[in-house]
Amino acid sequence: MDLNAARNQLAAALARVAGGNRAALRLVYQDTSAKLFGVCLRILRDRAEAEDVLQDVYLTVWRRAATFDPSRASPITWLVAIARNRSIDRLRAGGAGRRTAPIEEAAEVADENPGAADLMESADQHRRLQDCLGQLEERQSSAIRAAFLDGTTYEELAQRGGIPLGTMKSMIRRSLMKLRTCLES
Amino acid sequence: MSDDRTIPGEDGQSLAAEYVLGVLSAPQRREAEQRLARDAVFAAEVAFWEQRLGGLAGEVRPVTPPARVWSGIEAALMPRQARPNLWNSLTLWRWSAVTSAALAVASLAVAYVATVSSQRASLVARLDTGGQAGFVAAIDPAGKSITIVPASLTSVDQRVLELWLIAPGDRPRSLGLIEPGKPVQINVPADLAGRMKADAALAVSVEPPGGSPTGLPTGPVVASGKLINL
Repeated sequence: MDLNAARNQLAAALARVAGGNRAALRLVYQDTSAKLFGVCLRILRDRAEAEDVLQDVYLTVWRRAATFDPSRASPITWLVAIARNRSIDRLRAGGAGRRTAPIEEAAEVADENPGAADLMESADQHRRLQDCLGQLEERQSSAIRAAFLDGTTYEELAQRGGIPLGTMKSMIRRSLMKLRTCLES
Repeated sequence: MSDDRTIPGEDGQSLAAEYVLGVLSAPQRREAEQRLARDAVFAAEVAFWEQRLGGLAGEVRPVTPPARVWSGIEAALMPRQARPNLWNSLTLWRWSAVTSAALAVASLAVAYVATVSSQRASLVARLDTGGQAGFVAAIDPAGKSITIVPASLTSVDQRVLELWLIAPGDRPRSLGLIEPGKPVQINVPADLAGRMKADAALAVSVEPPGGSPTGLPTGPVVASGKLINL
């Protein structure tokens, strides 16, 4: 199935979810749960927590499907945003020092079925993002990646990079502004 | 050059990007979410970053979740699905048979809530049932008391209605029993007052007399709605 067809199908399923259709929620779950579970696991690094949050993510989708606007966001972007926000909130609620598990643990049972990978942004848009990230310094782009994928706070990033907090904040903000200019051009 | 003030972003561009990036602390995230609800420019900025950075999620390897996750979702949506129950369907039918007059009643209910609340409300919720207002709720600024007003007429026969707070990342918490036919003021348990925020929702379920025996909703959820800042 090509990208647009898959995306339209997912958007249509979300519209039915908004109307209270449980079978449609099941379809959305089948298409996207492996992707979203990967996102939750990567941030939380704890299977039990990630399962719990994933359940909460789809209950949120059930409640909020009516707020999804296909003219403003692609369905997978909307779903990934919910999964990331829920995971980050759970991570922050758990307090610091909990994330000691090695990242390998989170990567177990990787799925052969690409699933929602098919639904991610168009190749063009992804290439554009990669190009723009490539224009940043290596340590800047890797900090941006780590923050987005792992939900890392400024404090953790500064600690990891061995630089003062203020310097890390300035560096990230400058990188984001550069990124914005590049993405818009 | 590491001075934060040299960085553009007082206008929220920076905060929106930082929110989406995920580097903010919990209180800063709440701040950003509050702004999201009332500032359309900020919301558009967040949408921009979600769309553009969202592609990075393509780098995350998909992992199939265990079947119990879906079972849990199903159970939360249909707590009593195994027991076909004519009574339930009749109740739901009654709830869905609310006429468009309910909208007019709903606005009256908002006016009523504004009048009877001893303090100015800071959060309100419209609890919808099948897309129409079932109840209107107002919460005082300290999160200590809820006034809930039925916006449509209904009866629940031998059963009762129970009000629940559903905060993100938390299981439903009972706020007590409410009346189908008249406004009720409920004192919020002290440990829940802090969770009365704009990211939470209220829901009403039908329960056996005396309320849910399990501490979680057991009957059908007949109305629900998000808390919104006034």
